[in-house]
Amino acid sequence: MNKRKVISSIFYGIVLLIGISPSLWAAETPGTLVMTTIDRGLAVLKDPALKGAEKVQARRQRLWVEISPIFNFEEMSKRALGQHWKKRSPEEKKEFIGLFTNILKDAYIGKTDTYSGEKIVFIKEKQDEKDYASVQTKIITNTGAVVLVEYRMLSNAGKWQIYDVVIEGVSLVNNYRSQFNNILMKSPYEELVQKIKGKVGKDEI
Amino acid sequence: MKRYVGAMLFLGLVVFFPVASLSAENLPIAASDESEGKVLPEGNVSGEETIGKDDDEDPSEADQIGMEAEVAPVKDSLQPFNRAMFFFNDKAFHYFFKPIYKGYNSMIPVQARVSVKNFYSNIRMPVRFFNCLFQANFKGAGTEMLRFVINSTVGVAGFLDPAKSKFHIEKQDRDFGQTLGKYRMKSGTYIVWPFVGPSNTRDTIGFVGDTVLDPITWVSYFFLKPIESVGNYTYESVNGLSVDTGDTYESVTKPAIDPYIALQDAYLQNRLKKIKE
Repeated sequence: MNKRKVISSIFYGIVLLIGISPSLWAAETPGTLVMTTIDRGLAVLKDPALKGAEKVQARRQRLWVEISPIFNFEEMSKRALGQHWKKRSPEEKKEFIGLFTNILKDAYIGKTDTYSGEKIVFIKEKQDEKDYASVQTKIITNTGAVVLVEYRMLSNAGKWQIYDVVIEGVSLVNNYRSQFNNILMKSPYEELVQKIKGKVGKDEI
Repeated sequence: MKRYVGAMLFLGLVVFFPVASLSAENLPIAASDESEGKVLPEGNVSGEETIGKDDDEDPSEADQIGMEAEVAPVKDSLQPFNRAMFFFNDKAFHYFFKPIYKGYNSMIPVQARVSVKNFYSNIRMPVRFFNCLFQANFKGAGTEMLRFVINSTVGVAGFLDPAKSKFHIEKQDRDFGQTLGKYRMKSGTYIVWPFVGPSNTRDTIGFVGDTVLDPITWVSYFFLKPIESVGNYTYESVNGLSVDTGDTYESVTKPAIDPYIALQDAYLQNRLKKIKE
């Protein structure tokens, strides 16, 4: 009886532990995940072997490999299309995710070419009891200007991924949603796809 | 055996209680689902539209859950005029300001350009000081006063910013549009002004208010010829752009599918954040 009591109390203990600390399930907190990813990205940008104009392609490629896994492009696409997402067929959704991923890639990987020692500092992270978290960071430019950047994250079976980036209060996904909504108010979905395709083709890296 | 059933029930409670309490706040409809102990990441979809509606109150939170929230329609009754102005400003930026600040950049070292920016910013202290007062932010007003004293003296007439670099006293960016927003004035319709860029009815009134509070206006009015004032403002804009390297504008408009809407949305989101601060 005594032994059973011990076993059952251990059992309860484990249950309690598992139950009250879901953070144990995830290997890293959202904050450390974001910061280690940023550090790996910066390491690519600072890598002397990848410096210089002629190494642009290789550097962008490496950077993309390092940082893209932290983004949930499907979630971003879904949110950017908003209420129009549901009306799309699975093939259209798939195509759209690909296109939207390319827009983001073209726009933001290209910006790293002018990286000149800006610092990225962790401010704080905030996690809701469920699957949402936000990680606040700031970029300090060489002229001393501070840019607040917040990463909004979603946990998918313990895996944290970014679904929105908010720069100085401007949500990237909301910004695209306004644009897409505006286009879809006047024109059919196909035209939006054409417009995005034109854009992706134009700024090809 | 009974014991383990009890334990399973306990496990169920512990794991699903936070989920239940979270959803119960937001989604009255979802309550029935939780009693069965299902975790419903997708299941919340049905409730999303209802939650999304209040995203005026707290966009960050509503947005997390209400991904399908309707985008609140932006009041843009002057759109044809605004698009024309946007086109004009965009061209002015690319073909007038950009070549100038690029050339200016290559001649003047970055430290000097930051100093010029500091100088203008220091002179404009009354704008921030009074808006802090209007917003009942007395601590902010005190901070601005202290910064002005330090930077005008130790900071060599405002060219340096020792208040920030040595004493870590941050500038309080307050403007009159923000003040009006804090007093719950509605933003009104979106307007794009030539050279000034995105604004709305409230921020236009704010802009006029700030101009009145701005010592540079008074100096221009009493001591400068119109052409000298224009030169002064142009120089300040060019210098400001050169410190920023035009990045803010271009990083919004360049990756956009519709740059006009992208800039409008970025402006409105950023203003909303500033009013909430």
